[in-house]
Formats: sequence, structure tokens, C-alpha cells
Amino acid sequence: MQEMIISKKQIASFLNNLIRQYKVFAPIKRDSFVLFGEIHSSNEALLNFANSKIPPKEIFFPQSERLFAYSLTSGEAKIKEPLPVEKRLVFGIRPCDAKSLVILDSVFDGETYKDVSYADRRGKTLVIALGCNSPSSTCFCTSLGGDPFSADGSDLLLVDLGEEYVAQVVTERGREFVEEQNEYFGGVGGHSLDAMNDVVRAAEAAMKPKVKVGEIKEKLDDIFDDQIWSSLSERCLGCAICTYLCPTCHCFDIVDEAIDREGERVRIWDSCMFPLFTLQASGVNPRPTGKERVRQRIMHKFSYFVDNYGQRACVGCGRCIKNCPVNLDIREVLNSISNR
Amino acid sequence: MEEFREQKDQWEPKIIAFLCNWCSYAGADLAGVSRFQYPPNTRVIRIPCSSRISPLFILRSLQHGVDGILVSGCHPGDCHYISGNYVARRKFAILNNLLEYVGIEKGRVKFSWVSAAEGKRFAQIMKEFAKEVKALGPARKLVKSKIKV
Amino acid sequence: MKNLTTEIRGIAKKLLEDKRVDLIVGFERGTLPLRSTPCFVRRSEEVRRLIWNASCENNLARYLPKRTEKIGIVAKGCDTRSIVGLIQESQITREQVFIVGVPCSGMIDRKKVDATVDGKEIFEADERDGEVILKGRDFELSVSQNELLHNSCQTCSNKNPVIFDALVGDKIEEDGKVDEYKDIKEFEALSSEERWQSFTREISKCFRCYACRNACPLCYCQECFVDSSQPRWIGKALNFSDIAIYHLIRAFHTAGRCVDCGACDRACPIDIDLRKLTKKIEKDVQELFHYRAGMSVENIPLLATFNPDDPQEFVR
Repeated sequence: MQEMIISKKQIASFLNNLIRQYKVFAPIKRDSFVLFGEIHSSNEALLNFANSKIPPKEIFFPQSERLFAYSLTSGEAKIKEPLPVEKRLVFGIRPCDAKSLVILDSVFDGETYKDVSYADRRGKTLVIALGCNSPSSTCFCTSLGGDPFSADGSDLLLVDLGEEYVAQVVTERGREFVEEQNEYFGGVGGHSLDAMNDVVRAAEAAMKPKVKVGEIKEKLDDIFDDQIWSSLSERCLGCAICTYLCPTCHCFDIVDEAIDREGERVRIWDSCMFPLFTLQASGVNPRPTGKERVRQRIMHKFSYFVDNYGQRACVGCGRCIKNCPVNLDIREVLNSISNR
Repeated sequence: MEEFREQKDQWEPKIIAFLCNWCSYAGADLAGVSRFQYPPNTRVIRIPCSSRISPLFILRSLQHGVDGILVSGCHPGDCHYISGNYVARRKFAILNNLLEYVGIEKGRVKFSWVSAAEGKRFAQIMKEFAKEVKALGPARKLVKSKIKV
Repeated sequence: MKNLTTEIRGIAKKLLEDKRVDLIVGFERGTLPLRSTPCFVRRSEEVRRLIWNASCENNLARYLPKRTEKIGIVAKGCDTRSIVGLIQESQITREQVFIVGVPCSGMIDRKKVDATVDGKEIFEADERDGEVILKGRDFELSVSQNELLHNSCQTCSNKNPVIFDALVGDKIEEDGKVDEYKDIKEFEALSSEERWQSFTREISKCFRCYACRNACPLCYCQECFVDSSQPRWIGKALNFSDIAIYHLIRAFHTAGRCVDCGACDRACPIDIDLRKLTKKIEKDVQELFHYRAGMSVENIPLLATFNPDDPQEFVR
């Protein structure tokens, strides 16, 4: 892997330069929380943060996305499809969120199916990740094969060394980018590499004890009818906080909004935690209570997704843990199941 | 809906009047029969009782470009269903305050008691309401627009 | 608080052993500092899971509707008022619930704690003598507990349960001096345009997770109006008009029922000031109809009755 150095003194100028060439998304502060938003100046970017509240999947898979708009005039229907996006760049995404893009890719940009708008956004976005020097206590990426400095899903990975970043070139696209922006990048010296290794090791050591997911799939497939699901799910409110804030959750609904002779078809995030998610027109609901829905959430992420795509649909970012109004902790759920 | 006919002095408000079947609707009917004139801005929706009104009717009207909403029922004590308008009065008081509180212009949503004998009064109320709503201008605040792409 | 924990466990144990209830709904320790989580105990050996402290923020009455078993529920002042509301509305019977009332001087607001440490992670938190000590990677702060209480707690006038079968701990003196509508009055004093701008800015944050609705004990409709497709009142996409109507109608639906427990506000992941709407409704209900929700099961619900002298200056 090729490594370069970029000084922190250069970052403002670097970002401002990028803003001229790309649509740049970076962590920004919105009232009391952080999210990934478009920046128009480098001073809007927040680089000292744990992780955003809203995951960056928004940038590739917006919560409310127009598929097409239509208008009807006498005898004629006009369809207007969204234009392809211009080239963009995400700066400061965490390795867990970068990994989530790989997971979303398997659904929306995979071998059997390519979602036009997702593929367009994904293909045109350069991903610059920022490794985690100080993982939170709610982070559990290492339990799931991830790492605070994993390069999975990014084009460039930055390691914060205090005065400078080491930039690891991950992909061909990342290499082209570094060449294009070569005025900002310099060669890396031995001591910087040592410092980088120290930072990486310290972060890995700081991760909390691992969650037991070793044989979770086998366990899950075995205990579908177990009564443990009642107690695990009893306090769940059935809201969509965990699903909407999860970087890998990707279920959606398609709704038509029409007023008189004009309308649009919109794709919106949906949540398996809502009772309506599986409500059939006949009135039958295969997942009638919270118990079935919580079970489904865990089974989807740790069993069905493994069957379908060969990987677990969780990156251990911890957003669901921090934001659940009743502190339903997925780590507890996984440990309970593993211990069953 | 997006085509607000807004050229100055040419724009006319779109008004919906929810009228209870037994009193207010009959009052409006009497106004018509007696040829008491009032502006043609109003579309009437007949409901069995003023208590049929859900705040959703009013908010949805505002969402779909209606500029003024009038809800009219029987005078308290005269409700065909005995107490419908009394309970409705409580709902309306709360809703009226809530709408004004969040910044919906005062005067866009109006409530009245009109009896079946008050044809002339109904026409008068509609004339005044149309004038008030015209002065407020088109209702924009809760209008549903297409989402930004 | 430690004594309260012991008392609650004792009561719960006896209730389960005597088979007076089938289930105890209380709180147990959470997995993060300053958090507790709703706890469902069915066996008397498990009562030692139950705890009580200043992080017991959820309104457990939310778990009562549609239950058929006998339930022992741990309830703060506001929670007991919600239970009264549910009994008034026939969502649970008085006989079904054994209310373990706990006089409460307020629950900590996680968002205020977060703001105090500027979003940094808290590793450890201790409550001691009215102070909360927050420890993080490179900081240790001592903050007065009163400053960290949720806004609904800071203006609470029902610290003591209004209905209970057992009372845990000592009654707390109610603070009659606090103006619970101060924030609402300040907002009312702004111009119409300022209020609209503020409302728009706040409500635009919403991304329809429905945590507010689901956390509320009184939002128990089989089919919520947002899910109705015939008629479809509001759409589900992130359209400002739909979002605004969702919040306005939900607030309206709480009229005469909301007890300002703050559960909705606390549940919201993106810090929308929901109480700005619900508290206004509560203020109007108080001022126009002299009614306070959840004070007695004998009361008739606000919108199920009327007074011939109800105000009508606004009616033409």
C-alpha cells in the first residue's frame, strides 16, 4: 500500500481546492449533532468528532429520492427522470461506515442487480476515510472483522498523527486522486510510519472486549422458535431509530405522490420495525408483534444476509446502541443468543 | 396546483366551507334561494355535524392550496345531535390556537355558528371572509411542494 | 436512591411471590453510563435486576395498553398520570395494575449531559449529593444534578404519584412557584413570522422515525393516521408539509391527555423540541377548560364532554 503525508496545515487549502472540483461531503455540525453534509468552505468541516449521528449512506441512498416525475397534459404524459450526479467526494468517513458501503454495494451494485441511482452516486464518489484514533466504548467493529483503521470501502485512508495525516492509498482511483492533488501530498518518513503503527495499535487495544458473534449464524438458525426472543424484544418501542441510523440498513418503500395531473414516484427509507412493513392487503401480518420484528432484524443482519451475500450486515458502529430510547443494546442481544 | 393564479388584483382565493347539514348548510341554501349574493370563491362541503370535522380536514385543505377554510355549525344548544357542536367547539378552540401559535396567519381558518334561518347572515359572513382571505394572500405555508431532487 | 431500589425490589418480590401480579415492569441498569432500560420481571428471583436512579427516564405506562395480565408497574408522578389516562380511556383496567408509585425529583436529560461535555464520550458517571460527576477520556466534571434535569422535570408539579397501590420512599414537597408555561409564553410573545420560522426550522429536522409517537403511552391507536392509506392523509416522504402536519396532528391528538412526561422529547434522536407544541396544547387546555390530564380516573376525558360556557370568542 502506498503511503503519503498531508500536513494538517494544508487541509483547509486542500478542501477548498477540492470544493472547486467536486461536490464535497464532510462531517458538519447541525445544532447538537454531526452529520455528513455538503460543504462550501473548508471551515464548515468538522474533523474532530467521534462519528456522525446520521450515517453517510444518505449520500448514496437518500432517505427521500425521486425516481421520476410526471405530468399529464391532454393526450400526453411527460416523464422527467433525475439527472446523473456530478463528481463528488466524501471526506472524513469512518472505516466502519466505509465498510458499510461495501455491504450496500452487494445489494444495490452487485452482480445480479444494479440500482441505477445508487450505482451512479457510488461510481462518482471518491471516498476518503479517516481512521479512529479513539474508538468509542460503543464501537465493536473488531468483533465483526472490522478495524478502526480498516481500508475496506475507501479509496484513501487517513491516519491522524497529530500534526499531519498519513494517507494510505487503497484503490487505483485513490492513487489517481493523489497524483491529481500531488501538490498537497509529500513522501512519508520512517518515523511517521512508526507513529502510525503506534496509533493503530493503541486504537485496536482500546476497543472494548469483543461481542460473541463467532457462531452467531448457526445459533440463530437453531433458535428461531426459542422464547428468548420475547424477553429480548419486550422493551422495543418499534420506532425506526436503529434502522434509519444504521449505515447498512437499506430497506425501502416506493410511494407515489400526485396532485392533480402532476406527480412523482419517490423511494423512501422503510423500517422492518414498523408493523406496516409486512402487513398484507388481506390484513394478515406474518410479523404481527414486536417479537417477530426484532427477531427478523437480528436474523436478517446476522443470518439471512450471510446466506444471500456472504457477509454480516452490521459494521459495529454503535449508533443503534447510543440512540435507542430504551437502551436496547444489540451487543447484549448477540451475547445472549451466543450464550443460549 | 403549482400554478397560483397570482397576477396582482386577478388572484382570487380558494375557500372551502364545511357546513353542517342541519343548520349551516340549510342557511347557505336559504341564502341562495333568497338571492343573497356572496363571492363565488367558496366550495361547500356538507357534513352531518360540525363535530365531524377532524383537524386533518383543515390541515389537508391548507396542504392542497386552499386559502381559507370556514367551518360552520349549529348554534350551541341547537345541535341536531344534541351536543356535537359543543364538543366541536372545544376542538376548534384548541386547533385555532395551535395554528396561530405556529405562525399560520390569523383569519385563514374561521369558525361560525349559522342557523337554517340565517340566510342573509351566511352571505354576509362569506362576503367578509372572502375579503379577509384575499387580504391575507395565497396560503403558502403548509402547501405541499414537490421534494427537492 | 439506593433505599428506593431496595424498597422496589422488596415490593416486587412480594407481589410475584403472592401471585398478586404476573409481571413487574420496572427499570434495570443500562449498558451505558447514566442509562437504565425497561425491565420485565416474571420470576421473584429476578427482582434484583430492578433499580431506581436519576436515569429512569422512560414512561413505562407505554407498555400497558392491550395487556391482559396483571401488572405491577413502577411509576413516577407523571407516569401515574399517564396510567390514569389509560384507565380513563379503557386501555387497561384499574384492577389489572398494581402501581408502585415513586416520588420523583426529576430525571437527567441525556441531551443536556451531552451538551455539557460537548459531545465527548462519558466513560463513567456518578450521582452524589445532588451532583453528577462525569468522567471522560481527558476530563472530569462535576455538575449540579438540577441543571441536568429534563425541561419537563424542571417545571414538574406532580412529583408525587397521583394514584398508587404502594408508595416507595418519602413524599416530595411540590414546588408550586415554578411557571411551567414560561417557555411557551416567551414563544407566544414572538411575532407570527418569527414563530413560523422557528417552527419550520425545528420541524424540518424530522426524519419520521416515529420514536416520539412510539414512546408516548397515549399513542396506542391500532392504525395511526400516518399509516392510513384510505384516505391517505399525509405522505411518507420527507416533504415539509407532511412532516409539519404529522407533528401538528400528533400534538392535537394529545389534547387533554398529555401529562408532559417528556418521553417523546427524550426519545427524539435529533433533538426536536417537541414540547414546544405539546406544552402549548396543555396550556390551552388548562386555561380554556380548566382541565388537567391524568389527575383522576373519575374525570371525563376533555374531548368527550363539554361545558355550555366553554369559550367561544373566536367563533363568528
